[in-house]
Amino acid sequence: MYRKKAASLFAVLALTAVSTLGCSSGGGAEEAGAVAPSASEDQTPVTIQYWHAHADVQLEGLNYMLAEFKKKYPWITVEPVYQGAYADLHKKLLAAVAAKEVPAVTNVEVASIPNFGEGGIFMDLNPYIKRDKMDVNDFSQGMLKAYAYNNKQYGLPLIVSANVFIYNKTMFDKEGIKPPQTWEEIEPFAQKLTKKEGSNVSRYAFSVPGWDMWYAETWMRNGGGTPLTDDNKSGVDQPNSVKFMKKFREWMDKGYLQMGYGKGASDTMRQMFFDEKVGMVMHTSALIKWYMENAKFEIGVLFPPGDQKRISHIGGAGIAVMDMVPQNQKEAAWKFVEFMTAPDNNIKWADYTGYLPTRKSAITSAEGTEYFSKKPQYKAVFENFDNVIGRPQHPNYPAAIEVLKNAIGNILLDNKDVETEFKAAAKGMNEVLEDN
Amino acid sequence: MEIQSVAAEELRLPTRRRKTRYRMIASFKDFSLVCPALLFLGVFTYYPLLFSVYISFTDWNLVKPAKKFVGLLNYEKLLTDPKLYHVLKITFVYTILDVVLTLAIGLLLALLLNVNSRVYNTMRLFIFMPHYISMVIASMVFVWILNNQYGIMNKSLSLFGMEPVHWLDSTSNAIWGLIMVSLWKGVGFTMIIFLAGLRGIPVEYYEASSIDGANKWQQFLHVTLPLLSPTTLFLLITSFISSMQVFQSVDVMTDGGPLESTKVMVYWIYQMAFRDFRAGRSSALVILFFFIIIALTIVQFVLSRKKVHYEG
Repeated sequence: MYRKKAASLFAVLALTAVSTLGCSSGGGAEEAGAVAPSASEDQTPVTIQYWHAHADVQLEGLNYMLAEFKKKYPWITVEPVYQGAYADLHKKLLAAVAAKEVPAVTNVEVASIPNFGEGGIFMDLNPYIKRDKMDVNDFSQGMLKAYAYNNKQYGLPLIVSANVFIYNKTMFDKEGIKPPQTWEEIEPFAQKLTKKEGSNVSRYAFSVPGWDMWYAETWMRNGGGTPLTDDNKSGVDQPNSVKFMKKFREWMDKGYLQMGYGKGASDTMRQMFFDEKVGMVMHTSALIKWYMENAKFEIGVLFPPGDQKRISHIGGAGIAVMDMVPQNQKEAAWKFVEFMTAPDNNIKWADYTGYLPTRKSAITSAEGTEYFSKKPQYKAVFENFDNVIGRPQHPNYPAAIEVLKNAIGNILLDNKDVETEFKAAAKGMNEVLEDN
Repeated sequence: MEIQSVAAEELRLPTRRRKTRYRMIASFKDFSLVCPALLFLGVFTYYPLLFSVYISFTDWNLVKPAKKFVGLLNYEKLLTDPKLYHVLKITFVYTILDVVLTLAIGLLLALLLNVNSRVYNTMRLFIFMPHYISMVIASMVFVWILNNQYGIMNKSLSLFGMEPVHWLDSTSNAIWGLIMVSLWKGVGFTMIIFLAGLRGIPVEYYEASSIDGANKWQQFLHVTLPLLSPTTLFLLITSFISSMQVFQSVDVMTDGGPLESTKVMVYWIYQMAFRDFRAGRSSALVILFFFIIIALTIVQFVLSRKKVHYEG
């Protein structure tokens, strides 16, 4: 019994190690050559698996795309397999690589590209892009680059989101307020919108999530700073990187800004917005559709206000081909990737999923114009289409940025000094970045 | 013909050898019966366990095809990392609070509800019911219950004129949020096991002690508690191990935060392996944690040896 108990302790170990079953010899993925095999006219039936993270709401769109794909390539059968959210999908993918039983195509969350890229488990799409003359300039350049690592294109953007402000348009119109486009405009805007009696704030002008550094990074970059320098060192202690947090401190003290921290903070922020206790909230564009469906008032969308720059960070997932599959599957998988990201269905796909279109030509097409007239909220993002950029790329970055998250937590929860915390965070981040 | 000659040969063997042979056949039979279970354990428990030991000496990142041998580097890095001691502290604090409260409340409920009637049966049913609810679902519900602005907990407190409490977004309270969900789910099970233990205590002991003039409290101290000690030891060890391994509630309710105030060991192992892709180091942490739990369990056994009374 005792031994049994001791063994049960290894539930977590099994989690790690089961994913390694059968891989002691190392599942080496051969690097794709610089030149793709010439386009094959072979129409022998082939079946490929597509591991995805498309939740129920996206399934209608996925089924539509699969049906359209089948019409175009009747000899290729795509078997979609839902593998849960990104984290679950990644875990299963790791286990599949270890077992050498991989799907041909998969979704990959954008922040994991460096780690998967280092492992060389995805096929470099560049030779195929070149061979089939895919017009990659038609993609939003920031979105495209987010899926490249070490000069290899490991995937293409598929379900892309960006961080945006979602605002209560009805409230803004009533108050005669326009959403701020720059940091300078924030002060007068917030002054007008905030409702405060003594220290009791009944309505905040805006809210920024403190629980996910995805948002803070955007502010940092817009202030002219950077979380990661070109030589892979932390940049969070640079004056321009600290600037946004000093502003936040000031805005919080004045009662303009509500900044949630911790796990339930997202729910609180959403509820406060619906209860009109906050005028606008920073959130993912993937939720624009959800906000529009659930709010009792009209929704507007604002691209994050700029200072030195005006960018927003990319989120969501892309689509990638596994390097381990046989050549006929690779060819079929590439056709599927090409189809899923092509301009033809780009608007329809975005409309179904609530994510952003990725192609410039799709946006300017007749379908695109109709889409924007139906959903003007998305226009805010497309006016800044090339300014939706990827997050810093380094295999240790996801762990390193947690250090900054703790620093921001210290500032928010314990009222610690901004400058001191960011300096300490830079030191801590460097230790994590250098830890190999 | 052939069978006959084999039988005859058997008879010619000395008695001792014959006996040994029969014993071997019998043990082989026994062994073959447990084989499927052993195979299952071997593939899903012991092989991963041994493989993790191997990985802990490498720099493997889950995706790299090659696993470079790095010796004790992973262990060295962990043992010199102050975070290890912080995480251990959090894990112990959580475990102690959780185990003590679960056992104390479970015992109290068992004593209160140790009556056979329909009303008491229904009460026991209600207290036991959360045991069937998945921890993930319970945690999701508690995230809302404990929401500082909209949660029912703070609304209830405000009815008594109390200030709202920051449950999950405060470094000092978040751990209590985790304990709350664990208690809500766990006390019912503890109560049932204690009830079974209580019912196993012969009535004669109570009768004898009451004749000797013992009051209820003395009976509880000198009859109930000592005779419940095997049950208590069982619950202590099982809840100790499961509390040390807490993961789901942390993942759903706090993400180890705020400010790493609820970063427990298994959650750290998980993050290290699947967020940071450090399979080597996280395996080393698993091994370290394994020995810590083994050591503490042995300590519990040894300490409890004198205090546990097995009836008869």
